Amino acid sequence: MKLIILLLLSSLFAPAYAAMDHSRMMMNEKGMVMNANPDELPRDCTKISENVDITIRAGHKHALKFTGKMFAFDQQEWNVKPCAKINITFINDDQIRHQIMVHGLPGYLYPDGMVHLELYGEGQLQASFIVPSQKKTYLVHCELAQHAEKGMKAQLKVDGGDGDLPSIPGISAAVNADSYTVDWTSNTWAALVFCVLLGFAIPMVIIMNIASIKEAVVKMWGLYGHIGRSKLD
Amino acid sequence: MPKKYSILLILLLCAALGTTAFFLVPSTTDKATINPPATVYNHGEETSSVEKPCLNEHPEWRAAQVIDGVTVDVSGLCEPDNPFDVAVAVKGTNNVSMATLMQTHFAQDALTMSNDTDGDGDPDEIHIKLEVVELNGSSPDDNFLINTFDVAPGIQPALWVFAPKSSGMALKNFNSKAANPLLRAPSPVIRVEQGDKVYITLENTHYLPHTIHLHGVDHPWMTAEGQDNDGMEEHAVFPGKQHTYQIQPRHTGTMLYHCHVQTAQHLGMGMGGMFIVEENRPNNWVQTFNIGAGQVRHPAVAVKETYSQEYDLHYQSVDKKLASIVQTANDPRLIAERMTRQYNMTESFENYFLLNGHAFPYTLRDSTIIADENEHIKLHVANLQRSSVALHTHGHKATAVAFDGVEAPAGLLMTRDVFDIAPAQRIDLHLETKNDGLHSYGAGVWMFHDHVPMGASTDGIEPGGNIALIAYKSLVDEQGMPKGHIEMVDQVFSKDYYAKKQAVWGGNKEFSPLLGDAGLLAPNYGRIIGFGLAIGLLVGLLLLVLRLMQRKSS
Repeated sequence: MKLIILLLLSSLFAPAYAAMDHSRMMMNEKGMVMNANPDELPRDCTKISENVDITIRAGHKHALKFTGKMFAFDQQEWNVKPCAKINITFINDDQIRHQIMVHGLPGYLYPDGMVHLELYGEGQLQASFIVPSQKKTYLVHCELAQHAEKGMKAQLKVDGGDGDLPSIPGISAAVNADSYTVDWTSNTWAALVFCVLLGFAIPMVIIMNIASIKEAVVKMWGLYGHIGRSKLD
Repeated sequence: MPKKYSILLILLLCAALGTTAFFLVPSTTDKATINPPATVYNHGEETSSVEKPCLNEHPEWRAAQVIDGVTVDVSGLCEPDNPFDVAVAVKGTNNVSMATLMQTHFAQDALTMSNDTDGDGDPDEIHIKLEVVELNGSSPDDNFLINTFDVAPGIQPALWVFAPKSSGMALKNFNSKAANPLLRAPSPVIRVEQGDKVYITLENTHYLPHTIHLHGVDHPWMTAEGQDNDGMEEHAVFPGKQHTYQIQPRHTGTMLYHCHVQTAQHLGMGMGGMFIVEENRPNNWVQTFNIGAGQVRHPAVAVKETYSQEYDLHYQSVDKKLASIVQTANDPRLIAERMTRQYNMTESFENYFLLNGHAFPYTLRDSTIIADENEHIKLHVANLQRSSVALHTHGHKATAVAFDGVEAPAGLLMTRDVFDIAPAQRIDLHLETKNDGLHSYGAGVWMFHDHVPMGASTDGIEPGGNIALIAYKSLVDEQGMPKGHIEMVDQVFSKDYYAKKQAVWGGNKEFSPLLGDAGLLAPNYGRIIGFGLAIGLLVGLLLLVLRLMQRKSS
């Protein structure tokens, strides 16, 4: 297996990136890694706080534990400390292409703000990167057409993160959620009819017993009046 | 007694008011008086919906060039094919430099070519990998479409296409929802050489099952391993899985490949392409993929013996209701149910008619046949739409030289200006631009289109559909757009025009006051006030009567 390591691919990246020596890319016939960064510290970090080894599996079978998805990762959320170094082992359980893209990282270290791992089929790939200290939630997804949309989406939280991203399977609801038919059975109808009748009965009972209610209210009012008076005294 | 009379009087008044109201009912339409409403102007020149006819994104791609030893012919089009795509399609991802591959979106294992088994200077073992891509798909993240591909200004029907295996971003870039240029309609034209051992691997990246059926291509019914090789429904390749079809075609010609799962729907969604087997010749490196069909920038050796240019013309249609189903949900179960059971394909219509994935005016950008006089041009025409195509060439009579990939015998060479092509049929045409009053009537910007009339419309809006041009070089500008006809071009490169918001002749300076949109009629306030008062009074008086009658009875 021949690894072709291409540093400074000025033909691929915009000239602004060409000046930086971080635009690393590894590519072979099995897959590719873009912008891996095992050693360069983000500006706001003085040292690596922790080494986190994460294994991420991707494939349609991981969607089985959810409803209404087709592709998924085996986990949907990772929590790390600020300035953590994350060592990803990416395993593709499908016979097709899958990716891990981490978005929103600082552009001065990661061109386009991303780390990208891609496997062209079944197999395994490794890459490391270092997160900044900022409390933030990063999007992790497979960017193939309709893969994130159909479930292959997760989140990486640094220092607890700054909230959940939408439509992470099992974690958060979709912004543009699907509509499903409600299971209306005879019991559902019975509950509805019962509540209508109950609602109707409440004012009826009040009207029918208006005299005794009035009496009770007067009594209570009198009682309160009495207390008030005694307080005043 | 006076109360009784007053009630009677009020009731009479009510009757009168009712009659008045009846005659004063205001309506949403009304007859004009002497002067009908004025003309309103709503043509798109005043709005942001107008696009530049040619975006001219890659002028450097037009020139004839040699990349990694592959000659890429000149393309005068506004949107020429990426010459690096052509080079990779000719030599394979395994035989080009990394720098060339980086100028494309091909995966490194998308197309491997090797083993010159007959020793004639070209590879004879070809491994092709295809993925399935949904264009204009839905997103759970908000109300937008993703991996968009506009077939005409503002027209984004969901499409499913086969695409060469790609790598990296499916989007054009981080600031865009548009698909990268390798992911587009139609499914790419695939070219191989006669006798090549071809392995076509379907890697199903989509969320529904699919297959590849090699329609008309010489293929054994089973693979060497005894597996399905005909792409039938019962051997569907499910999401995340792959299957390799094996062929060694003995016969040449223009054939097809398409998905054979829920075929009416999947073919209608765009899962079909042209599959062309070229004659075996020495040193014959054929252009395995023609992305987006259209001009072949590296024609096969045998084609160049007779022809100066070669084009692939892929006709397809879209049922907008069928296409919209995948945009209504993200749950694959809901999509499957709505497509396969709720939607009835026998009640389907064709709304968009595409040539090489685009409807007019986008066909002007990448499907114009740019010709000189006295050229011999080969056209491979495939009908992948649901209805017949009656292909009509203005200003020319072409000759059909092959039907369904079988060469026409000398006595059956038909020279005509309308070619009837049934669904799934292919014809190869010889277009001669000899100005002899038969083959060509001379230089021009001549249309060619489906003469089944709605084929030239986009959801009922004309001009649209599969209209394209045979344009002579003298009448084409340096961006590949026709010289002149500017007013028309400005009008149709507009989202508003295809959203049916613009008067068809609203752009004609002389006739826009006469054929622009009629404005609205001013409301007849006299009538509206009269009617309102009458109804109000009527209701009030009736309540009064009720009150009086109640009092009377008590």
